[in-house]
Amino acid sequence: MSADNVGQTEATHRTGPLVWASIIAVTCILLFLFQKILWLVVPILLALILYYVLVAPLQWLIYRGVSREAAASIVTLGFMSLLAVASLAAIPRVISNLTDLQNSVSRYVDGGSLFMEHSLRGLEASSSILREAHLADTVAKRLAESSGSLAERIEPIVVGLMTWTPSLLLAPFLAFFFLRDGRRFAKFLTGAVPNAYFERTLFLLHGVDKTLRAYFQGLIQLTILDAVTLAVGLWFLGIPGPWLLGTLCAVLAWIPYVGTIAGGLLVVLVVATDFPGNAAMAYSAVALFIFVRLLDDFVYMPLTIGKSLHMHPLVTVLMIFIGGAVAGVSGLMLVLPLLGVVMVIGETVGELVTDERLLARHHHARALRKHLAAYGLSRAE
Amino acid sequence: MVKLFSETNLSPRLETLRSVSLFADLKAKELRIVDGLLHERSYVADEVVFDEGEDGQALYVVFSGEVLIVHPTDGGDGLVATVKSGEFFGDMALIDKWPRAAQARAAAPTVVGVLFRSDFQTLMETHARIASRIALQLAREMGQRLRQRVDAAAHGRGKL
Repeated sequence: MSADNVGQTEATHRTGPLVWASIIAVTCILLFLFQKILWLVVPILLALILYYVLVAPLQWLIYRGVSREAAASIVTLGFMSLLAVASLAAIPRVISNLTDLQNSVSRYVDGGSLFMEHSLRGLEASSSILREAHLADTVAKRLAESSGSLAERIEPIVVGLMTWTPSLLLAPFLAFFFLRDGRRFAKFLTGAVPNAYFERTLFLLHGVDKTLRAYFQGLIQLTILDAVTLAVGLWFLGIPGPWLLGTLCAVLAWIPYVGTIAGGLLVVLVVATDFPGNAAMAYSAVALFIFVRLLDDFVYMPLTIGKSLHMHPLVTVLMIFIGGAVAGVSGLMLVLPLLGVVMVIGETVGELVTDERLLARHHHARALRKHLAAYGLSRAE
Repeated sequence: MVKLFSETNLSPRLETLRSVSLFADLKAKELRIVDGLLHERSYVADEVVFDEGEDGQALYVVFSGEVLIVHPTDGGDGLVATVKSGEFFGDMALIDKWPRAAQARAAAPTVVGVLFRSDFQTLMETHARIASRIALQLAREMGQRLRQRVDAAAHGRGKL
């Protein structure tokens, strides 16, 4: 066992149920508060992801003699240029798609409804109870009633996107300042810490940075693994646009459960519409999706995000549910990185405030400084 | 752009850093990177920098002043070494997470630069050449200390 492992084991032993209860309580309170300022939390979260993606090229440039300021500008501008080029390339396609957005959505919803109706009629054929209940007719009627208001349903999504755009544009600017001034900010923070607590506080900051870095880099790895696996599977089945579908589903999976269900529905809608009447293809797509989710939960997740947070799988699942109950979809997204950070801070602060030797050293240093400051004030000196 | 990649004159701070044996082999741009990692701290005379038995997290470079390394169990005043400006101490913490072997206490108003182990580990991943040069110097220093101890022990036996 290495010294690092020894330290980790000791830290785990120190964390009692009271500390854990406090960590969970603080995480819930923060989730509740963050939900109220989502317009700021989401860009900060995206900026952090961007920061951890761009920090490697930043360090590469710094080593080649470029100053941190110039390197931060170069990598941010490089990223923005790439984004601009990709957007410019996509704009003609998006505009052409927007003109028949309503038609496309209606086509895919109709395809999904038809697939559901076919499936239910198939079930009715094999079950007399379902046949007597007229399940397929009832569902088809309900879907027909709700499809009339499709345009009204698209409108809030478009308005929501327009409202969020300025807030999302903040992300690259925040990432630039994180890259340029992150270290200076950390030094500024530690500069205010008394000498006695300095080493431990720095250790705490490194712990927080390590947790966040591992989480966000794990999230990016997980997204790439999910996207590639799903895209290869869809391509193998012969479904059109496998890479776009795979990437969309992988990004949607950032929101636990809700995003996964949305991704699954998206795949089924596309397959049901592009292969009408081919139930075998739709079932194959659903089977593939379930297989990728299982692979994600039991292989990819423990290898990437789970490993980064050093958390028991039961705690992870429970906290996802608690996050969802406290702050809805945003809670589902934020709960794990937040818990990781609160855990590191909680454990270290617990250690700092209960260490009497550090407190004694701090008082001793203060007394010495006071004595120095007062030197020469008294006649006797 | 050419200027960005060229070697420039060293600032007084970087000159001080280069005078530290640990960083003697580093080029100007490499010194600048190391300087970006260092945290500066000031201690008053008699203030404890770290205690014996404490988890070692960082190496300390003395920019000005003097630091005493004290080990009370050695008998007498327990003074093991005096670290002067341009020298460093607490170097074992850079290699391993192990408790401090002795107490460090400022003998006079002292300014130090602190290189944290995690920063050094990051340096090994991102700038392996700089980290390897520092590690080589560290190994040389340790070898020298070991030789001095062996010589001292041999000298002591000779006296007996």
